[in-house]
Amino acid sequence: MSAREPEFAIADTCFLIDWARYRHRDVLFKLFKTVFVPETILREVKSENTIAWIASNLAKGRLTLYTETADVVSEATSIVEASKRSPHLISVELPEAVCLAVGRRRGYVVLTENRGLILFSSISSDYRDVAIWRALEVIAMASLKELLEIECSDLEARFKEYEEDTKHLFPRRDLSRVVEVLRVELCRSR
Amino acid sequence: MRFLELNSADLDEVLKRYAEEEAEAREVRRRYADWDYIRKQPPRIRAALEYYVETGDIRRACLIAGMDLEDFRELLRRANIPVVV
Repeated sequence: MSAREPEFAIADTCFLIDWARYRHRDVLFKLFKTVFVPETILREVKSENTIAWIASNLAKGRLTLYTETADVVSEATSIVEASKRSPHLISVELPEAVCLAVGRRRGYVVLTENRGLILFSSISSDYRDVAIWRALEVIAMASLKELLEIECSDLEARFKEYEEDTKHLFPRRDLSRVVEVLRVELCRSR
Repeated sequence: MRFLELNSADLDEVLKRYAEEEAEAREVRRRYADWDYIRKQPPRIRAALEYYVETGDIRRACLIAGMDLEDFRELLRRANIPVVV
């Protein structure tokens, strides 16, 4: 985890439908100048809470619709096919594959909670360098940049809030690793 | 386009680590799940929830349930099955 500053991200459905329930959800727009939402992803969002949050932030220009081009869809289709050919992998479907293809082409951070996509990107030569962030990394980075209020006496507080709001649990090992980074980077000098 | 071109030792290492993480996640999903709620569901929904608990594959679980992604995510909350990612 480094504190470099990517300006753009592209979000998939799994990320958006949980993130939209987080009490600090708008910190996403302090972290990124623009978050793109592919049209295929928008079509999957149904609930009033999620769609209202997306619509209001499209109106404010903090989210931007991404219209898939034929070459992006072609690349995404190749990702889907490759994931389904390997018995080791959880299959990747087209909406999140579009995000990965755009992330590679444009250098955007891919925001996802999709285990298939995370595994695929870690074992594919073409996609290993794409930055893949879960909510865990988003909250960690927002904390590192002090966009979220962090108390050194309870470094897990913002992560626990996310878990309470979404019923999503972070793997304990990953959470411990991130909290240790925050302790070193933020609390050593306080 | 190049896919899955890691050397076999690297690939084995990544897949081994993934299998360990997935085994831990599966145990968490099993432990938290409201099994009474799951058993009361119609067969198709019950099968999809059990499939999700065992695999964590939400897309395929949606197909089994015949539901879209966001509705299935809400069903997971009602069944107290956490997404562990």
